[in-house]
Amino acid sequence: MQFESVEDVRIRLEEADYICSKLAATVVFLAGATNKPILVEGPAGVGKTELAKAVSRCLGRDMIRLQCYEGLDEAKALYEWEYAKQLLYTQMVKDKIYDVIEKSTSLTEAVDIIAAQEDAFFSERFIQPRPLLSAIMSKEPVVLLVDEVDKSDPEFEAFLLEILSDFQVTIPELGTMKAVAIPFVFLTSNNYRDMSDALKRRCIHLYIDYPERELEARIVRLKQPGIDETLVYQLVDAIREIRNLDLKKKPCISETLDWAQSLMVLQVGELSQDIIRETLSVITKYRSDTEKVIKYMEDMSKKAGIQ
Amino acid sequence: MMQLVLKFASCTRAAGLRVSTSEVLDCLDQLQHVNPVDEEEFKILMRANFAKSRRDQAKFDYLYDLFFHEMQTDLDFKSESMGQYLQEILKMLGENLPQDQESQAVLDLMAGNPMAYLELLQQIQSDDNAAPGIKGSNLGQLAKRLQIMLGFNDVRELIAQFLEGRTPSPGVTETIDYQIRQQLRAYFDERLEVARELLTSESRPNNESLKTSSSHDKHLAQLGDKPFVSLNRKEVEEMREIINHLVAKLKDTIGRRYARKTSGILDVKKTLRQSSKYQGVPVELVYKTKQPKKGKIVTICDVSGSVWSAARFMLNLLYSVSERFNGVRSFIFVNNLAEVSDTFDKYEINQAIENVLRNHEVEFQARTDYGAMLRHFRREYMDILNKKTTLIIIGDGRSNYSNPEADILDQMRDKCRRVIWLNPEAEVFWYSGDSEMRTYERYCHEFRQVQNLNQLMEFIKDLVL
Repeated sequence: MQFESVEDVRIRLEEADYICSKLAATVVFLAGATNKPILVEGPAGVGKTELAKAVSRCLGRDMIRLQCYEGLDEAKALYEWEYAKQLLYTQMVKDKIYDVIEKSTSLTEAVDIIAAQEDAFFSERFIQPRPLLSAIMSKEPVVLLVDEVDKSDPEFEAFLLEILSDFQVTIPELGTMKAVAIPFVFLTSNNYRDMSDALKRRCIHLYIDYPERELEARIVRLKQPGIDETLVYQLVDAIREIRNLDLKKKPCISETLDWAQSLMVLQVGELSQDIIRETLSVITKYRSDTEKVIKYMEDMSKKAGIQ
Repeated sequence: MMQLVLKFASCTRAAGLRVSTSEVLDCLDQLQHVNPVDEEEFKILMRANFAKSRRDQAKFDYLYDLFFHEMQTDLDFKSESMGQYLQEILKMLGENLPQDQESQAVLDLMAGNPMAYLELLQQIQSDDNAAPGIKGSNLGQLAKRLQIMLGFNDVRELIAQFLEGRTPSPGVTETIDYQIRQQLRAYFDERLEVARELLTSESRPNNESLKTSSSHDKHLAQLGDKPFVSLNRKEVEEMREIINHLVAKLKDTIGRRYARKTSGILDVKKTLRQSSKYQGVPVELVYKTKQPKKGKIVTICDVSGSVWSAARFMLNLLYSVSERFNGVRSFIFVNNLAEVSDTFDKYEINQAIENVLRNHEVEFQARTDYGAMLRHFRREYMDILNKKTTLIIIGDGRSNYSNPEADILDQMRDKCRRVIWLNPEAEVFWYSGDSEMRTYERYCHEFRQVQNLNQLMEFIKDLVL
């Protein structure tokens, strides 16, 4: 199942509970239409991973996720051999070998017979696919999410290149495995370090920023149905203002949603200074940030008082 | 359409964006899928292919506007005759302007083709051999800019003359309507304005992922918050111990990687080869030895007068770091670089620092010049940076108003894993006077004020190698 138009992407993502900007919808559509990986960048918590999940939901594809970290290597990302079985196999071969070469009369013949036998040692039977390989080998097209690719090492980035451009993986012992069905690939990055040009060249780039006011309000309404309409805007405006402060960690969409949820639980109908103070711990994750927000609030109310 | 995209691609290249052929191909491929009359979609498509990092996006947006909006006025010419006169004027300009690169670029821009002009600007910005006189000054750049500015005046004058000559008055045979004259004047004024703006406004890459930190936590209430400047001898000793302790901790975390290197992956081929000794029974298991990663560190430390008091302390830190890690390259500079890795290797700490501060390669009396330092680095040491290197620059960014050469820092950023800037100066002063922090800030991954031990501790804790 493919997307038909940009509008179609937007509607279907919305049905999958993901509200996105036209920017994101267009890029997803183009990537889908041309089988290109998407490199999604943006601050933490703006829904980069969620976008991949939503696409997998609305296309009805399975999602295979690879979380990157420093030290991630091919054995964990691509494939590994099942050593125990391989070793058992060698023992088995040792037992059986006599039966096989029994009839041979000369050494040359015996060698020929052995060479003609199926070699299962390095074969697909003993291979254990890891996320990247299973995405390539899957009969049904999948969504492959390579999360936080900026945390991985440069060597790993080099690995990805083959998959991203040709949708194939080369296993030295077996040869090249081509994708059965081309996966929809998402790479997300927090911009911890810059990705190489080679990687960037193979992807379409999408930068997701904090959402516009309207968009964020819609997201809150979607995820917290039944929330009071005035509260939604108060909440969103407050969050937007807090984001503008110089904080260690800016509140992202998930924090807005957490906040909305806690306010719902507390049955708050309207934001006030006291309520913000009490529930601030939901949105700020550092003590210094909390202090800054409170100070800002006090300054603002003082200013309002003078006017 | 293809012509247009190709032209735009060469424009973006001229302006310094990295756009490869495969990107242009992708772009053309994708164009078939979008609604051709929806400009928003078109722009999103171009941007997704041409500007592949957040830092480039601002530049792209600007170029896009320039190319598709400001330069495309010829689409809505009021009349045929205006187009004709326009050609006439351009021809006249071509004949009268000098044949050098600058004037030709300006002429192209007038004709609606900004490429040569963008290329010229890019060239000016990154050209380091331009300075004819004093090395390290940005006078060369400024002079070139001025020359272009003067070129604008020539163009303006020529056009004014031309229009003057066509004003209906006794004795003039060829005349142009008042309205068309006005339009022509407006057209060229607009273009010249665009050119001027391009010339004077420097492009600023978007660097939102920049990590800055200001610490509020109090670890060691007394010693920790005391600025390096006001430490006495005893406290310096005390602090040295703390630093050593910290660096050791850091080393431990890294050591864990070494400890894990033999766990996990079995090397089947080698195990089987070994097993032939025992009649095919795999008695000895051989594991794949993973070469543990060595994060490389390159440190560049300012030791000039303005950071003198903190410099000693920073050298302390450098020493501890280089003692604990392999492959640390340390440099100090005032106006030119000197490598001190060897000194750190050979001598014990106090002696090493004394030696470093008496280094003959560095003129301690000279004026700090970050630009010269960066040029020197590019000339001789660029190859030591690779994607595993963390580059730590320690200094206040006070460059005595010489050319900051931020361009080189950008190139360095491209080559290494992370660029971290530690500033021993209080944050309030960062952007005042001859401080180039604002310029350099845009090219760093991380930016920190390190004025006392607490901040230093925090930095070491966060340092990922």
